[in-house]
Amino acid sequence: MAGLLEVQNLSISFFTLQGEAEAVRKVGFSLGAGETLALVGESGCGKSALCKGIMRLLPATARIKSGSVCVKGVDITRCRERDMHKLRGSRISMVFQDSMTAWNPSITVGAQIAEAVKAHRPGISRAETERRTIELLELVGIDRARERMGQYPHQFSGGMRQRGAIAAALAGEPEILLADEPTTALDVTIQAQILDLLQRVKKKLGMGILFVTHDLGVAARVADRVAVMYAGKIVEIGAAEEIYYAPRHPYTWGLLQAHPFFARGEETLRAIPGMPPALLHPPKGDAFAWRNPYALGIDYEEEPPMFRVSDTHFAATWLLDSRAPKVEPPVLGKVSKAAKREGKEETGGEILLDVQHLTHLFPLRRGKEIRAVDNVSFQIRKGEIFGLVGESGSGKSTVARCIMNIYRPYSGHIFYSPEGERMDLCDRAALRKNRKCLQASRQLIFQDSSSSLNPRMKVGELIAEPMKIHHFVPPRGSWREEARFQMHYVGLEAGCLEQYPGELSGGQRQRVAIARALCMEPKLLVADEPIASLDVSIQAQIVNLFKHLQKEHGFSFLFIAHDLAMVEFLCDRVGVMSQGKLVEVAATRELFQNPQHPYTKALLDAMPVPQPKANRGLV
Amino acid sequence: MKIFFKKIMYYIVSIFILSIAVFYISRFAPGDPLISYYGERVEKMGPQEREWAEKKLGLDAPLSMQYIRWLEKAVHGDFGISYKYKRDVKEVVAGRIGNTLLLGGMGFLLIFALALALGVWCAWQEGKPADRIACRLGVVTGCIPEFWLALMLILIFSVQLKWLPSGGAYTVWQEGGLADRIRHLILPLTVVTISHVWYYAYMVRNRMLDELGADYVLMARAKGLKEGRVLLKHCLRNVLPSYFSMMAISVSHILGGTYVVEMVFSYPGLGTLAYESARYKDYNLLMLVCMLSGMLVMAGNMAAQAVNGRVDPRMRGERDA
Repeated sequence: MAGLLEVQNLSISFFTLQGEAEAVRKVGFSLGAGETLALVGESGCGKSALCKGIMRLLPATARIKSGSVCVKGVDITRCRERDMHKLRGSRISMVFQDSMTAWNPSITVGAQIAEAVKAHRPGISRAETERRTIELLELVGIDRARERMGQYPHQFSGGMRQRGAIAAALAGEPEILLADEPTTALDVTIQAQILDLLQRVKKKLGMGILFVTHDLGVAARVADRVAVMYAGKIVEIGAAEEIYYAPRHPYTWGLLQAHPFFARGEETLRAIPGMPPALLHPPKGDAFAWRNPYALGIDYEEEPPMFRVSDTHFAATWLLDSRAPKVEPPVLGKVSKAAKREGKEETGGEILLDVQHLTHLFPLRRGKEIRAVDNVSFQIRKGEIFGLVGESGSGKSTVARCIMNIYRPYSGHIFYSPEGERMDLCDRAALRKNRKCLQASRQLIFQDSSSSLNPRMKVGELIAEPMKIHHFVPPRGSWREEARFQMHYVGLEAGCLEQYPGELSGGQRQRVAIARALCMEPKLLVADEPIASLDVSIQAQIVNLFKHLQKEHGFSFLFIAHDLAMVEFLCDRVGVMSQGKLVEVAATRELFQNPQHPYTKALLDAMPVPQPKANRGLV
Repeated sequence: MKIFFKKIMYYIVSIFILSIAVFYISRFAPGDPLISYYGERVEKMGPQEREWAEKKLGLDAPLSMQYIRWLEKAVHGDFGISYKYKRDVKEVVAGRIGNTLLLGGMGFLLIFALALALGVWCAWQEGKPADRIACRLGVVTGCIPEFWLALMLILIFSVQLKWLPSGGAYTVWQEGGLADRIRHLILPLTVVTISHVWYYAYMVRNRMLDELGADYVLMARAKGLKEGRVLLKHCLRNVLPSYFSMMAISVSHILGGTYVVEMVFSYPGLGTLAYESARYKDYNLLMLVCMLSGMLVMAGNMAAQAVNGRVDPRMRGERDA
């Protein structure tokens, strides 16, 4: 069948000062009407470049080098820019990741959608435009559409903005919708709503959707077919069931294994070792070979072609060659959910941190205030990993900052007892007296390591800095040696010592942040969304590291996250926060198997699971 | 309404502080104010005569006393007499201020419009030859000192070609002719505009390019909008607030520029007046000119804020939100 969208042999390169970076290499796929193809891959694998290439919206530094993109049989790579205007929005539309920056902040939502309506129907009357805009807003589930039209993007919530963006994309009645990580910036429950909306709209309008995501769980929820991308190439493509239940490419195996869903009851996540290759100097042969435990000799020499598995299923790995040795694919989730993991929850240790009735207010304009944290009480025992989950704005970061004395709580107490004696962190006098020791024994790791590490300091200096501030005597002779030791400890090469944070990858930077926190031998480690901005395979590495280090050091660990699957894997006990309140605290297994609070249930239901069958019923 | 009063209060306090600063700085600067009143005669004065003269002008009292006296009168609208012109300073200024406002105002508007057009056009043509040539040319014109440019223009258009007058605001004995006024304005305006326009155009260009890199531009293009519409409807709209505030703040900058130009073209405006009064210690005149300039600058800033609120919905008060 001739697809709606046929991409053949498409290569896109970015021309930088350092040379040519091949972002997309010989990609080919087709998309039919009424079909959703999920494009899964980690950041930098070229999935966004591919989307922009199809839209012909690449930045000036990038160029389509070869290949064709046919929309209904017409090759648009040969279209002039003048003709592309007519195609964009009416044939192909796009929804972007960040719903905040994708809207022009100074134009009303209604006007921005109306603009899209007008673009494809010149001479349309004002009343007709308005009618159509309202119709679109209602289609994407925005109520009181007439009122909402006159509002500005900042007056919309994140989910609403993304709905609006979909409405704008649908204005020209496109046949193809490219969705570039449309739900990545959203909370799980909102994400589920948007995914459902996309499915509904697709059915109603019979569009083809190319859904780009890094999350296999999300892909499983929406996709009819899945394409896995790695280093600019599609390495495996097939129907959703084939990819999830019978994957053939080692990278797909790795991605699925790294998902915490399949690591229930296991000690470590099976992370993919190493990092994706730099596109500037792609390695010879298969780009994945260096991280591939199943790599054959030929993988280092020659790139594998696409092997046919079935009519719909193709994979680019030499393992499928008839001459290759037969490899048993790893069994996913072989340990059943009931399998025992020694939970620490039963061993009621000493309490390290006791938060009692913590409340924090932020003043708004005109004497109003917002209760960011509202009467929150919980305890963290010594040597325990406590997870704090909640959607954005639920107050979990504020709790962390109160514990770290960054904010002074409005009311409540935080008792901290590192050496038996109990002190109140909200008591200024006690705080002043024990300032040094308190600072050293509590350490914080931030989400965004690129902005929390000073870009002008070398990694070695960064790691040694807290020790210098607290006049530690370096146990290994010099600060340098100490930094080197800590780096080795968190799995960083000694070569990084002289590098600046900007030269490191996200995962490496987060390791630096961890080393910097751990060199103080903290009693309490607070990590605020430490893995949220990392890639799936790197997330697994960092979580494994956390788990390992916690076991070695025995510190108590407050792990703040929105990723339920990771929390389930890592934490001993979990607290769920919603709108400033702590709605449920329980041991991990109990919480996940038998959630009590309706909000917890909603969160768990919305959690995307990398199994297409499990999700079918939901749509 | 409350906010409005608050702003007016700030305004008044600022003017008050400005007056103190100008008053003291001008008194501490070296020079003899008597020269501007009595001219050459001062050198022949005996000490007694001098004392009497100082007393007559109120310069014998302690500085703070002098200031309080000045302030008292100023509040009632009496800014004293000019030492040099021996007339009420208000009259002196009133005769000149129109000329400066005409030159400064026209220059300002011209710069404002030209810079915007030039900046947007360059952003549109980014990287293409037209943009590159414009950028180079802009850097060159920005480097030429105003007075030199003015002299060169006089040399070419007045002395050599004899097309345009070399100075003044109008031909003597022919006051009031509109065509004549315009002919006299052309050269000063050209200098003011050329020496400032590129600075602002470059800012507009760069801000436009920043905006063009934003995600919403991608979305706008993905919706199928034409490039011109993206540029003018989307980007320009977000550039304008900062452009307005920039322009409002630069009222003083351009005013300063016109002062220099006024000097070179011996254009009878506040610039020449300010220069003379500072040079010859015509204290009362200097104070009034400074107060007026200061008020203009502050009015500009307030206007910028008001305009910003209109253009950018996020900067409006909560009442609209």
